[in-house]
Amino acid sequence: MELLADIAYARSGDKGDVCNVGIMAKRPDLYPLVLRCVTPDAVGRHLAGLVSGDIAVYRLDNIEAVNVVMRGALGGGATRTTRFDQTGKAMATALLRMPIEEAS
Amino acid sequence: MTKRVRIGSGSAYWGDMFEPAVALAERGEVSYIGFDFLAELTMSIFQRAKAKDPEKGYIPDLLTLLRLILPAARKHGIKLILNGGAANPAAAGRAVAKLAAELGLTGLRIGTVLGDDILGQLDDLAADGWVFENLDTGERGLDRVRGDIVAAHAYIGSEGIVGALADGADVVITGRVADSALYVAPLMHEFGWTFEDPDWDRIGAAITLGHLVECAECVTGGMSNVWESASCPWDIGFPILDVTDATDGVSAVLEKTPGSGGIVNQWTVKEHLLYETHDPASYLMPDGIGDFTTLQIEDLGDDRVRLTGMSGRARPDTLKAQIGYRDGWIGEGQVVFSWPDAPGKARRGIDFLQHRFAQAGIDPLALDMRFLGVDSLHGDVAPPMPMDPDELCLRVAARTLTREQADVVRREVTHLWTVGGLGTAFGTPSPPRPVIGLWPTLVPRAAVRPIWNVEEVH
Repeated sequence: MELLADIAYARSGDKGDVCNVGIMAKRPDLYPLVLRCVTPDAVGRHLAGLVSGDIAVYRLDNIEAVNVVMRGALGGGATRTTRFDQTGKAMATALLRMPIEEAS
Repeated sequence: MTKRVRIGSGSAYWGDMFEPAVALAERGEVSYIGFDFLAELTMSIFQRAKAKDPEKGYIPDLLTLLRLILPAARKHGIKLILNGGAANPAAAGRAVAKLAAELGLTGLRIGTVLGDDILGQLDDLAADGWVFENLDTGERGLDRVRGDIVAAHAYIGSEGIVGALADGADVVITGRVADSALYVAPLMHEFGWTFEDPDWDRIGAAITLGHLVECAECVTGGMSNVWESASCPWDIGFPILDVTDATDGVSAVLEKTPGSGGIVNQWTVKEHLLYETHDPASYLMPDGIGDFTTLQIEDLGDDRVRLTGMSGRARPDTLKAQIGYRDGWIGEGQVVFSWPDAPGKARRGIDFLQHRFAQAGIDPLALDMRFLGVDSLHGDVAPPMPMDPDELCLRVAARTLTREQADVVRREVTHLWTVGGLGTAFGTPSPPRPVIGLWPTLVPRAAVRPIWNVEEVH
C-alpha cells in the first residue's frame, strides 16, 4: 500500500470556491489508517498548487469515511475559474495520488 | 401507524438524459418523481433570458422532457416536481399548460411556486442594515458589485411545493428551491408532517434521503469509484426511495428502476452522501438540518441499500442565497503540437503567447496554461510529462476585464497554427464567454415568502 488510492475511495464536488472530497475507507480495518493519513496539513501539502485556503477534515465513524473541505480550492469557483476542471471533479483523484508515507 | 411511499429522481442537471426518467415513470412504481435542473450559475443565465423575453427564463428541456414523460405519469398517477421553472416558473407553468392541452391531458393540475427571486428586495434589506456577508470571501456589503448584479435567489424550502400538492397539483414547477426540498415536500405531504409541529429527526431524515437521490444517476453508478462494476451504463437506472414512516422513525430502501443498468451498493450511497457537502453533522437546508453522522447503511444486494438511523435538527432562521454579478470575461483556446519535439514546440508556443499578450497590453486577472492529457486536471500533483509524446495539447484560458481582451487570447492561440512550429492544429475555437461571479450569502428567512398557485388544464 503506497497511495491513498490503495486504501480508500474518494469523490469531490464544488460549492462556490469550496471543494470537498469525501474519502471512504475500502474496509473498516483501514479506517484508522485513513484517519492518520488524511489530515489538514497532509492534504494541504499534497494539494499546495491547487488549494490556497483553509482545510478542514470531518469524521464519519458511522460509515468509516472523512469529508475534506477546502476553501479557495477552485480558482475562484466554477463560473470564474480558468481551470479546465471547473467543478473540481478530479480533485478526488488528485488526492487519491497522495502517498501514504508522506502523511503518516 | 406505518406509512409508505415510493419516490424517484428524474434529473440531476440541465442537459441530463431523458430516457431513464421515462423508464422510471413507466416501470418504477413510484408516486412522485423529483427533477433537478439548476446549478449555481443557471439562475443568472435564465434571469438574463427572462430580461430579454418575459415568456422565457425557464429550462427549455422542461418541455422536451414533459412531452416524453407526461403520458406515463398520467397513466400511473405519478406527481412530478421540477425546479426547471428556473428564473420564471410562472411562464414555465403557462408553457406546460399549453403542452398538456396539446397532449389532451384535460384536468391536469399544474402548480407553480414563486418567492425565491429576491433581486427586488436587496436594496430594502441593505437599507435595513443586512450586510450580505460573502460566505466564500468574508466580504461584507454589496456596494462593490451592486451595479453588476443580474440575479439574486434564495434557496427556499418545501412549503410552496407542499402547498401546491395539498391543492391537488399533479405537476409542480418551481424556481430555486433547495434540491432536497423536491423530495422533502412529497414526504411531508404524504406523511402529514408540518413545520408548525415539527419532528426534526423525521425532517432531517427526509433531507438526508433527498440529498442522496437529488443527483439521480450519481447514486446509481455514475461519477462513481465502482463505475467499472456498473452494468450497461447506457441504460442507467435512476434512483428510487422506498420510504417508511413508522412510530420509531423514518427508514428507507434506496433502489433503482427495475431492469435498468447501473449499480446501487454501499459505495454508491457513501460517495453520494458526502458529495458537495461541508460539515456532515450539519447539512444546512431551508427545511431543517440533516445529520449524516447517525445514518446506518446496510447493503441488501441486488442493487438495494437500506438506510436507517437518520436524524436532524431545527431549521435555521436564515436562508442561503446566491447573488450573480457580471465579473469580466474568459477567453479560451487549444492548440495541439506534433512530434518531433512536441514539448519543445509547446515551450516556444507558451513563450510566443506571453510575448503577444504583453504586446497587446493584456494582463489577465487569471491565466491557466496546462497540457490536456498531462496536467490539466491535477496540476502540479500530476506526474512529469511523458518522454517524447507524439502530440501535446496546450489549453489556454484567461479571465479578463473586457470581451475584447478575452478575444485577443483566443486569436493569439489560433495564430500558433501558422506562426508556430510544423504540424500544429487548433480545432474549432469557442468565442469568449461572459463570467458571472457568484456571491453566496444568507438572508433572513422572514424576508422570503414562498407562494404557490395551482391551475387546471382545460
